[in-house]
Amino acid sequence: MSIKPGIFLPELLRHLFKKPVTVKYPFEKDPVPKDFRGNVVFDPPKCIGCMICVNDCPAEAIDIIRVSETEKKFKMILHNDRCIHCAQCVDSCPTKTYHMDGEFETAVLNRHQLKIEYK
Amino acid sequence: MAILKPLLYILVYPGLIFLLVYSTFCEWFDRKLYARMQNRIGPLHTGRSGILQPVADIIKLFAKEDIVPEKADKHMFSALPVFSLAIVCTAALYLPVWHYSEAPSFNSFSGDLIVLFYLLSLPTLIFFLAGWHSTNFFSAIGGVRVLTMFFGYEIPMLLALLSPAVLADSWRILEIARFYQNRPLLMLVNIIGFFIAVIALQAKLERVPFDIPHAETEIVGGQFTEYSGKKLAFFRLLGDIEMVVGAGLIAAVFMGGFPGGLLPGLAWFILKTLFIIFLLTAMRAALSRIRIDQMINFSWRWLAPLAVLQLFIVIIIKGMEL
Amino acid sequence: MEFKVALGPQHPALHEPISLRMTLEGEIIRDADLKLGYNHRGIEKLAESRTFIQNLYLTERICGICSFSHQTCYTQGVEKLMELVPARRGLYIRTLICELERVHSHLLWLGVAGQEAGFESFFMYTWRDREVVMDILDWITGNRVHYSMNTFGGVRRDIDELQKKKILDTLGLLKTRTEYYLNIGASEPTFANRLAGVGKLSKEKAIALCAVGPTLRASGVPMDVRKDDPYAVYDEIPFEVATADSCDVLGRAVVRVKELLESYKIIEFLLKNLPEGPFKVKAPRKVKENEVYSRYEAPRGENVHYIKSNGSDKPERLKVRAPTLANYAATIAMLKNGFIADIPLIFAAIDPCICCAERLVQLDNPRSGESKVLSFSQLRAMANDRYKKINFKKKDSAWPF
Ligand code: SF4
Ligand code: SF4
Repeated sequence: MSIKPGIFLPELLRHLFKKPVTVKYPFEKDPVPKDFRGNVVFDPPKCIGCMICVNDCPAEAIDIIRVSETEKKFKMILHNDRCIHCAQCVDSCPTKTYHMDGEFETAVLNRHQLKIEYK
Repeated sequence: MAILKPLLYILVYPGLIFLLVYSTFCEWFDRKLYARMQNRIGPLHTGRSGILQPVADIIKLFAKEDIVPEKADKHMFSALPVFSLAIVCTAALYLPVWHYSEAPSFNSFSGDLIVLFYLLSLPTLIFFLAGWHSTNFFSAIGGVRVLTMFFGYEIPMLLALLSPAVLADSWRILEIARFYQNRPLLMLVNIIGFFIAVIALQAKLERVPFDIPHAETEIVGGQFTEYSGKKLAFFRLLGDIEMVVGAGLIAAVFMGGFPGGLLPGLAWFILKTLFIIFLLTAMRAALSRIRIDQMINFSWRWLAPLAVLQLFIVIIIKGMEL
Repeated sequence: MEFKVALGPQHPALHEPISLRMTLEGEIIRDADLKLGYNHRGIEKLAESRTFIQNLYLTERICGICSFSHQTCYTQGVEKLMELVPARRGLYIRTLICELERVHSHLLWLGVAGQEAGFESFFMYTWRDREVVMDILDWITGNRVHYSMNTFGGVRRDIDELQKKKILDTLGLLKTRTEYYLNIGASEPTFANRLAGVGKLSKEKAIALCAVGPTLRASGVPMDVRKDDPYAVYDEIPFEVATADSCDVLGRAVVRVKELLESYKIIEFLLKNLPEGPFKVKAPRKVKENEVYSRYEAPRGENVHYIKSNGSDKPERLKVRAPTLANYAATIAMLKNGFIADIPLIFAAIDPCICCAERLVQLDNPRSGESKVLSFSQLRAMANDRYKKINFKKKDSAWPF
């Protein structure tokens, strides 16, 4: 290929009159895709306490605790500071107790604030 | 009154205050243009469209911790940034922006072209010393590269500046500018010299493709590796002011200077320097960094012979006129 | 005058910690050595205490750029251990994402090459266009970096007609842009002269030093796992192995651009021939006792996972050989007798992914320089000792300690 100094210049000058592609992020947000894996949401009545999710979660972020001796009722503690948002729990649960929301700005200053309890 | 005017000249316009304001504006202009060429936004939040960003950067650097390496020569290390800033600010006084008297004075005399040129060369030497006195491997390499590059671009630049002076038959920048103001067509004769001077200025400013002495991915910050805080801020400011002065010099010598007294002169100054800065920015955006041996090769194989050729053209034209 | 310097572990040219020890003579490198182990994460050990399903997400996190490569390599290995035949549609989608990942990785590399050479505009533009691929990946898998698409027996999400159409539409744009960058890179003298003739690695040396991936192919050896030992559905896809004979950094760039163009063709083929049917089959949880050696052509070269199972639901051993590790020996050979100015380019030309390759850490005494070899039992005793001495705070005691 031939040598042409400044071959990039036309492209550069053309873009002087174009709108920049940068997204001004905290002020403008792009929509999240439909399969986005945000935070885990738990639906307590559906849970049957089979513990598959606890065993499959790669980050050990799920605790399922039986709340009553007599009834089949469970609460879930999600350690969102450990969760790696892989959605394996959504796939594993036989009763579709979990789904993922579209939330992605979850940073906090203290990791203990990220613990969520679903009753 | 006799003392007030020089004082105003040195401190306000075109001296210190104007230089500080205008050089930060030029940095903003350069950065914004560079960003827009790359389809980015560039500085945005400080001031209107980020116009105060360079000022904010400098204030931030002033507030930062200032570290002097243990093994470095403390006095040299601290004095160099201040010296170099003082030198380029002095150089700015020789630009023929505003002349309150026609007679030769402290800032305009026969031969001031050479004085200005050498004042602009001194920072290079200071960069070398700064690198050398940092006692850091990367700084030392950076310092050596500064000097190596200096031998490449300095002579072509001097030759390039020489040709318009020869044609105008004067060593005084003001007179050179006048000469071309009266005969604008003769400016075209120096077109090769103009481009050589712009390229050499880019090398002097150590910007892409000539940012070899502080090539970040190779030798970290080059001669500035150990500098931080206030001292680094001085060096940054130095770069901005050097850009303005260099652009002003080229505008004065090749583009007919800044005619028309105080205000039109200012307008011309801004217009012409911004045009040259635009050229520098476009060069920075369109090219990639070259290696030090390629740079030396380029300047001796292309720049220097072309500068000599330019000188010949000028001499022939001068012979025809006479 | 010769002097010794260390580049890194912290250096602007290195995005991850590694140390290049060099003996310099002026601006010329006379001798070079690499020191690794700054980013050892103990992934292999961790994998032994996790189930096969949990390890899917662990292997994905070996690398950020080729996350899918490591996950697929692992998944294919485990599928072989399970004697599971994955769903055909799932395999097609898996291959599709492999290729999309290759595209984004190579575009990223082009930008990095520009950045290392000081060509910032090139970097900005290639990365801008890389966003197109990232958006596609984001759109079909849900996330930008860790796609988490693999599961034993197929993939976790299907692709619908709309997505298919959108990918096919954007391929044209990517193709023209890639050709444009090839033109720029080869024609701009300040850039092309920085790459040409730098970091020479002859064919014989490349083979002798076991280089892999584009580094090897740029030395004229047409070796590609996708052709030599096809996995997924590569045996059904027509494509060429890109090579170059110039044996330098420019050659490596050209190989990558050619691979990009091949990848677009593969993606088009995959989408046009996507079979109907289920995209995953059910997989068992336990794995019979066996061992497997899984190969995969990652964007950076051949990636190898060795997995040993013992009949439980956890692997007994997982060994990862990332492509970067295989290229280190060649890098040292390439660095010798080069300029300082070429270090970042030569090093970047193998597309290093340093922390993927860290499998071992060696602690030297920094003062005396002597190193110690500890047996496993000694190391365990040392660790137990350490842990007994530490006072855990109550608040943090639940995890990770
Ligand atoms: S998303 Fe993954 S890490 Fe988070 S709770 Fe579910 S399985 Fe665990
Ligand atoms: S897998 Fe589903 S049903 Fe089973 S314990 Fe978890 S949430 Fe409950």
